[in-house]
Amino acid sequence: MTFPLSSQSKASNAAVVLITSSAIWGLLAAGLQTLSTLQLLLPVLSYLAPLPILNYGHLAPVVSFLLIYGWITSGLLGVLTILVPRFSGIPFRYGRLLTGGAILWQIGVLSGLTGILGEGGTGIPFLPFLRPVTCIFLVSFLVLGTGITRGLGGSWKSGPLLPRLYLLGALISFPLGLGTAELLLRGGTTPGAVQIIGQLVWASVLQHLWLTPLALVLVFQLIPAMTGRATPSLSLGVLAWITTLGLGGWLSNTLASEGPLPSWLQSAGVVATLLLFVAVLGNGILLQPLLDGKMEEIKRNVALRFVSVGAWSYLATYGWLAFLALPGVRQTTVFTMTTNTTQSFLIFLFWGNILSGSVYALLPVARNMGWPSHPALTWHFWFSSIGAIMIVSGYALAGIFQGLALNDSGVPIGTIASYLRPFLVVVFMGQILWWLGQMAFSSLLFSSLLKLFPSTAPMAVFPSENPASTTR
Amino acid sequence: MKSTQALAIVLLSLILTWAGQVALGYFQVGKLEPILNEETNLREPPTPSGLAQTGARVFASEGCLECHSLSVRGPIGSADLTRGWGERRSVSRDYLFRESALVGFSRIGPDLSNIGSRIKEPKDLMMHLYNPRNLKPTSTCPPHPWLFEIKLAGPNNETDSLPLPRKDWKQMIPTYQAKALVAYLQSLNLNYSLPEAPLK
Repeated sequence: MTFPLSSQSKASNAAVVLITSSAIWGLLAAGLQTLSTLQLLLPVLSYLAPLPILNYGHLAPVVSFLLIYGWITSGLLGVLTILVPRFSGIPFRYGRLLTGGAILWQIGVLSGLTGILGEGGTGIPFLPFLRPVTCIFLVSFLVLGTGITRGLGGSWKSGPLLPRLYLLGALISFPLGLGTAELLLRGGTTPGAVQIIGQLVWASVLQHLWLTPLALVLVFQLIPAMTGRATPSLSLGVLAWITTLGLGGWLSNTLASEGPLPSWLQSAGVVATLLLFVAVLGNGILLQPLLDGKMEEIKRNVALRFVSVGAWSYLATYGWLAFLALPGVRQTTVFTMTTNTTQSFLIFLFWGNILSGSVYALLPVARNMGWPSHPALTWHFWFSSIGAIMIVSGYALAGIFQGLALNDSGVPIGTIASYLRPFLVVVFMGQILWWLGQMAFSSLLFSSLLKLFPSTAPMAVFPSENPASTTR
Repeated sequence: MKSTQALAIVLLSLILTWAGQVALGYFQVGKLEPILNEETNLREPPTPSGLAQTGARVFASEGCLECHSLSVRGPIGSADLTRGWGERRSVSRDYLFRESALVGFSRIGPDLSNIGSRIKEPKDLMMHLYNPRNLKPTSTCPPHPWLFEIKLAGPNNETDSLPLPRKDWKQMIPTYQAKALVAYLQSLNLNYSLPEAPLK
């Protein structure tokens, strides 16, 4: 199937808006992140420049917001805008509308960013922005999501099933989850104790029913396409999909303090986390034969390298969550930096690596371009991977030490803060490296789009002349 | 698998996720009511004043929750009670009148569930907000000078000005946000007994 050139280029404009904005938000988030960690390391800095927009309490929610809504969500929607018409064979019809939706999403991110920096966040986890921003996101998603959903129709019976299943789950979970959270958490009618449950459900939905399934769409579509191998067992994959959808919304209960939450919800969260880890291992069993013996190709193809590291990080992330859910561990690590560890695992190692690999693999298809310099791609990989590992390990060790010290009443709270500094130095250095990686990626992206250098390393997984046929 | 089956599974799982937790949670903790203290004839937990409710929004917008939690844990598996952060653990009923009900994510600083009983003087809380190192030189808490405004003073400072040495006839006056935030912090006090969490 060949798409009309005009519809393709308009749809790819939407993808370019989403992906380039994602890169800009990622760079900005990385810079602000180092600034906020520096304030934890050197509290005196907040005395030198006592401005609300530079205050740790404003920067920390801004960083989290930019990484999740700006970098990851925008980027994943961008690569899906390229991918979905190619695996469904249905071209987007209203390219300009999609581009409008993509621009609207960026307006939402910008409004959220200025709102949180200026007025501060709402304090609600993963919902730090005000209601108008939610409305912008929902309208934008209505346009983008409808476009992407259209790609699911028509050819359901042909082509790979697992990416479609995860895509369907994600596309329904996000608007329903965000709408419900908005009504429950800001409606003013929900009793306080129930709001706490609603916050935890929204945190779970956003992470495990929206972003994780989106990343899995790309894992199950791109790895088979790039390695030329088919997913071994569809029934195991479908079982893991059902388990992910059924249990993903319960996971955050394990990370909450035991007091305000009914105890059965915490127990259900623990069971859900452990069972979901089994499902994740099931997906690992599906992915292992796809990558087995492909080390040379992984070394050669940076896109495959990013996606495969992202896929293994998926297992590690849910393994970490299962570890935190163990009763003794959970009691020790509540209210510690292990929360940052989980976020960093998800954002930098799992979703982030999948996003980077997907951009490298898919953008050349949409824009008929290549990447200018292969060593720079490798720098991006090493800087961001080593940086992410340092961030995750620094936060993990800090969190465990913090938890042990908090549970010893003989250790003053000020002393605990000083215990954390060596680990925060590691985190800070990791964040600098990750920022450098983002800079390498952004310079490659913009120079490629502007065709400033001759391309030397094209890495397309689908030939651009016949986009629909190769995924069948 | 047919697309309709997949769609049904997705919708069912989402309904179970929200209904299973929020609806069942509502039946368990959403209908909790305050307890009447027969000695004082007051309802517990008390309804916070309008100023304190505004202060809760300032508390959230200043990002205090990035470092402070609002939930006392224990006595098993936590040292919160021995640290003096409260006389009993926090329970669902404590959050009855909190809008928004916030618990926090991290404890770089101490838990604030009972800060109203630990620091009773509003001036001390104001001084902490203006410059935490005035009261505790090693504090890692950032200052919030934007919650205060400089005003010219007459022969005497205004009654709500901060007790700071006066320079150039200037005094530091808390803004409405600072007053609201302090009212909220003073309202954080769990020193009342509940059937499910009696005081020690």
